[in-house]
Amino acid sequence: MSKNEVESTYSKRASRWKLIIFLLIIALIITVIVSLNVGYYGISFEDILKILGKQIPFLNSFVDYTPKLPGDPNVLLLVRLPRIIAGVLVGAALAASGVLFQGIFRNPMADPFVIGVSSGASVGAALATLFAAGFVFFGIGAVQIAAFVSALITIFFVYNISRVGSRVPVMTLLLSGLAVTFFSSAIVTLLQFISGKELFSIVAWLAGGFSNITWLAIWAITPFILIGIIAAYFYARDLNLLALGEDTAQNLGVDIERVKKILLFLGSMVTAAAVSVSGLIGFVGLIIPHMTRLVIGPDHRILLPTSTIIGAIFLVVCDDVARLMTGSIMGALQLPVGVITAISGAPFFVYLLRRKKTSYAL
Amino acid sequence: MFGETFIRIGWINRPRGKLHLNTKYIIATIIIIVLIASAAFVYTYYQGQIPDEGIQALQTLVDDHDYSTSLTAYPERIVSLAPSATEILYAVGAGDKVVGVTDYCDYPYNFTAWIEADNMTSVGGFKDTNVEVIASLNPDLILATGGVQQETVASLRDLGYKVLVLDPANIDGVLRDIELVGNATGKRAQATAVVNDITSRIDAVVNKVAGVASKPKVYYEVWFSTQSIWSVGAEGFETELIAKAGGVNIFENDSLEHFQTDSEVIISKNPDIILLPVGMETVGSELPFWESFDAVKARPAWDSISAVQNDKLYQIDGNVIERAGPRIADMIETLAEIFHPELF
Repeated sequence: MSKNEVESTYSKRASRWKLIIFLLIIALIITVIVSLNVGYYGISFEDILKILGKQIPFLNSFVDYTPKLPGDPNVLLLVRLPRIIAGVLVGAALAASGVLFQGIFRNPMADPFVIGVSSGASVGAALATLFAAGFVFFGIGAVQIAAFVSALITIFFVYNISRVGSRVPVMTLLLSGLAVTFFSSAIVTLLQFISGKELFSIVAWLAGGFSNITWLAIWAITPFILIGIIAAYFYARDLNLLALGEDTAQNLGVDIERVKKILLFLGSMVTAAAVSVSGLIGFVGLIIPHMTRLVIGPDHRILLPTSTIIGAIFLVVCDDVARLMTGSIMGALQLPVGVITAISGAPFFVYLLRRKKTSYAL
Repeated sequence: MFGETFIRIGWINRPRGKLHLNTKYIIATIIIIVLIASAAFVYTYYQGQIPDEGIQALQTLVDDHDYSTSLTAYPERIVSLAPSATEILYAVGAGDKVVGVTDYCDYPYNFTAWIEADNMTSVGGFKDTNVEVIASLNPDLILATGGVQQETVASLRDLGYKVLVLDPANIDGVLRDIELVGNATGKRAQATAVVNDITSRIDAVVNKVAGVASKPKVYYEVWFSTQSIWSVGAEGFETELIAKAGGVNIFENDSLEHFQTDSEVIISKNPDIILLPVGMETVGSELPFWESFDAVKARPAWDSISAVQNDKLYQIDGNVIERAGPRIADMIETLAEIFHPELF
């Protein structure tokens, strides 16, 4: 291949990638707007658009809107919209850190929870539920803060347990993550056992969901998630080289120990922030990266941004299903979104896996 | 010597001089042994179930799970595995026979203080009742409840203890349970008096609210956390108490007991009255799970709910409204005063 050919292939691919990301962002925006229409409380789609229009500066003077019921704008803007935005952020965070963890561990079973972020967060959340419920710091509940902090402490422990001199072998990391996960799960089980009605909180936390999310909680996690994902994107090339094996990557000039340390931290931070508001929503971080890899390919430079957006879309749609079922087939009952992610995601993933026919590798 | 026998009956083959186990025979033998053993087990188990004809039963009681228990004498050492059962025992006048209660039992006496003073034994929490502690009390009657206690009940019955399960589905069920406990403890007259008192008080409230023009829509919050919001449907005890007191649970058409719902649903149903329970926390915080009336009013978009606009938020004793005990009449009276203050 001549230099020109290489350059043209490269620019073709770059423009194709840009197109994919552009289309996915459009899809995400459409999903969010359609999702605004889904919920038990009845607001017409026209009113929804008008309420949104009222919020846009300069444009709002052109919108002629009087609420049919005085509560309409608040239900849309303070109950439904934050829930959808939380779905976007949490879905994006889990899918992105899923890509990072699968890349670091070069293991298809890896997910954001593999080294104990989730179980660490659960211990914090359960302890706060039992012993510090009602404490609020700057408007943020004790449960959210305790979950975030204890997730990061857990990761710090796992990392240091696994360290051999200046190196952190991934196998040791996986195994110590497993050990810490078992240990923390046991503590959560113990806390469930001694709890009375607080069991409701713990069960809801373990099933995942963002029923009672507030804007304040969303503002609190947004910087962690955005900065984490954007920072991780700059290591996409290193993840590509890491896929060739650690020794090869080292020889090709990647400072693998440093990259691993940074990516583990970023992935854990992003996951901890997401989990602190949503509880444990399983499956998104495991299957969205796989699904995307089956369709888009294994190059982390495109895999990371596309997985992030698809994860966001997927979780918003799953939460829509939860809200759609409430009021139709479920009456007033609402299923936790974590149940819906797993029930809907697993069969679709099997379908993709079978359709691909050829064997599948990371 | 045994080897030869096994070869002869075909358990071991010895083709070409090599020892070789005949798998088919061995599997067949194991299956036969297992079948005989399980038949023997089932036989002895059912032998145990058949009441001994030799001792004359004083009375046979059928509990809420249709399990028959024969008592040969009135119990002298009773263990209660549920706060509601404890309340019923004391209401019918059998309190002096109670030797063990759970950590959640708090009425009619401060049992925690009794336990600390060694005047009463704790048999554990609710899910985690300790069978060994129960056994060490040597009870001649145990009162349990449904749901999570089923395994404990089964193992206690296997150990030969007399267990009555009190698991009422509605107010009539509670009244039947009070009679049942009265019969079991030989306090029939007092149990009937308690039942008559409860019935007449409930009837009085029902008659009073019968003529009201409108019944308020009521939301009872079972639990609230950052991930979830729980209320009670038609299967729940609370719904019937609310109905007797002249209110309508906003979820009375959902055939569920305690279930997870959504803020939007509650805003849409627009309740006139919000009931918030106190005393539901086991450990930790001084605040109830809903924190404060102001916190409830400040929930996103709740300011459009009629109850919030008219300041109709009330705290009630969660341990009374959710407990199938003798205080149901008290709760119905309290609720009726909240729903229809003009009548009282």
